Amino acid sequence: MALKLDYMVRETGTNLFRNLSLTIASILTVAVSLSLVGGSVLLRYSVDNATQQWQGGIEFIVFMQPEATQAQSDAVERQLTESTQVERFEYFDQERTFEEFKDLFQNTPQIVESVTPDILPPSFRVVPVDKSAETIESLRSVFVTQPGVREVVAAFDSIRTIRNLSNLIGVGLMVVAGFLLLAATLLILNSIRMAMFARRREIEVMKLVGASNWFIRIPFMLEGVFQGLIGSGFAIGVVFGVQRVFDNIAADQRFSLFSGLVVDNQQVMTTSVFVMVTGVLIGALGSAFAVSRFLDV
Amino acid sequence: MIKLENVTKTYKGDVPALRNADVEIAKGEFVFLVGASGSGKSTFLRLVNREERPEQGRIFVAGKDILELSSWKVPYLRRNIGSVFQDFKLLTGKTVYENVAFALEVIGRPKHVVKTQVPAILELVGLGGKMDSFPHELSGGEQQRVSVARAFVNRPLILLADEPTGNLDPATSVGIMRLLDRINRTGTTVLMATHDRSIVDTMRRRVIELDRGAIVRDQHRGVYE
Repeated sequence: MALKLDYMVRETGTNLFRNLSLTIASILTVAVSLSLVGGSVLLRYSVDNATQQWQGGIEFIVFMQPEATQAQSDAVERQLTESTQVERFEYFDQERTFEEFKDLFQNTPQIVESVTPDILPPSFRVVPVDKSAETIESLRSVFVTQPGVREVVAAFDSIRTIRNLSNLIGVGLMVVAGFLLLAATLLILNSIRMAMFARRREIEVMKLVGASNWFIRIPFMLEGVFQGLIGSGFAIGVVFGVQRVFDNIAADQRFSLFSGLVVDNQQVMTTSVFVMVTGVLIGALGSAFAVSRFLDV
Repeated sequence: MIKLENVTKTYKGDVPALRNADVEIAKGEFVFLVGASGSGKSTFLRLVNREERPEQGRIFVAGKDILELSSWKVPYLRRNIGSVFQDFKLLTGKTVYENVAFALEVIGRPKHVVKTQVPAILELVGLGGKMDSFPHELSGGEQQRVSVARAFVNRPLILLADEPTGNLDPATSVGIMRLLDRINRTGTTVLMATHDRSIVDTMRRRVIELDRGAIVRDQHRGVYE
């Protein structure tokens, strides 16, 4: 078995170098396409983070005073329930608000430490039936005057713009990435096919003396997987780079609009693993196709 | 050892390469397949190690119906069958030693087996002194010896030879035939397709003659025609 293992490694290595230019082309294509995939996943994460309070159609939030009485709170709740313009709403008590707060500011623990649940305002997250600016404005004016209400915040146009723009960019990146991934798979397929052609005499002899089918296939499969893996390595570097850029933008006061565009380490790790798995899959897919189509063992 | 029962093989839309062949070859026999080009000799050999499948009939090797074998088991069949060709099929980038060792390495034989078996077999074929030469540095006869060594190093039950002397001069051919004869004496069944009249007439072994896919003669201690 030891002999087999070092045979496999040797063969895969020789193949990669024999075909250097095509190998580099495949690796670069994988790298570029997966960078786009990783970038768009991160963008999606960061926009979700930035607009966390505004998901699921929530268009405005009624913040209560932290010291508002239960009766005041009940009155607002009743009014929301009765209003025909409100589709549904959700109540965030102080504990839940604190959890969300910790989430939003997890990269700056000193802020989280300075806050306790009882100073945070409980709130109603409201989904209106009609999302037009006039409706929201009229609802706002009703609730802002209620006793115990601290303020009513409506989803800003800027948030909507960010959301729409990021959706657009995300879809665009994914489409381009999709085509590039297809190109990468085909390039890997072709480089494996070239490798098999270069070694056709050896393959013929191997079949003749009774090398098992997998023994012949595996070095070629490994070659494809390796190309995918190296390509995804580059892409993971890019993913970490994008996180840096987001952090820098977030820290820069001039771009306050984007201050929420941060991704946490967990999300970067998830994205990296996703990118790596995709790279390996592409390599395996391209080489598996080449092997099954052209090796005939 | 080898048994064909009513075997017919046709290549796409062509006349049959082999027609209703019934042959039984015992263990340890030495058999010549003779006949004109295109008479079906090579097809016969390719059917025995399952490089081809017939449309009809059954083929047994060492008592097993090889047409029933699933494709992943075919390599294990071939480990019992050595093959030698007119064009040697040596790997030009490997030395004599490496060419023979390759046959053992790719079927997963341990290193110490390779290290002892390869020099021994090269000694047997008379190339003990040329282990580090490359194929292009050897004469045709020597290259064919390497190819015989590679086919025999795993001690197969059967040796298939497809015109092994087709590229060699008569004197060199005699050397190769002595080698095949020697291998046959160890108990290996040898099946050899040939055009070489003088070899067949000299050796006086069993001769099976094919004509356009049909077996027209099967003669013990036979001659070319």
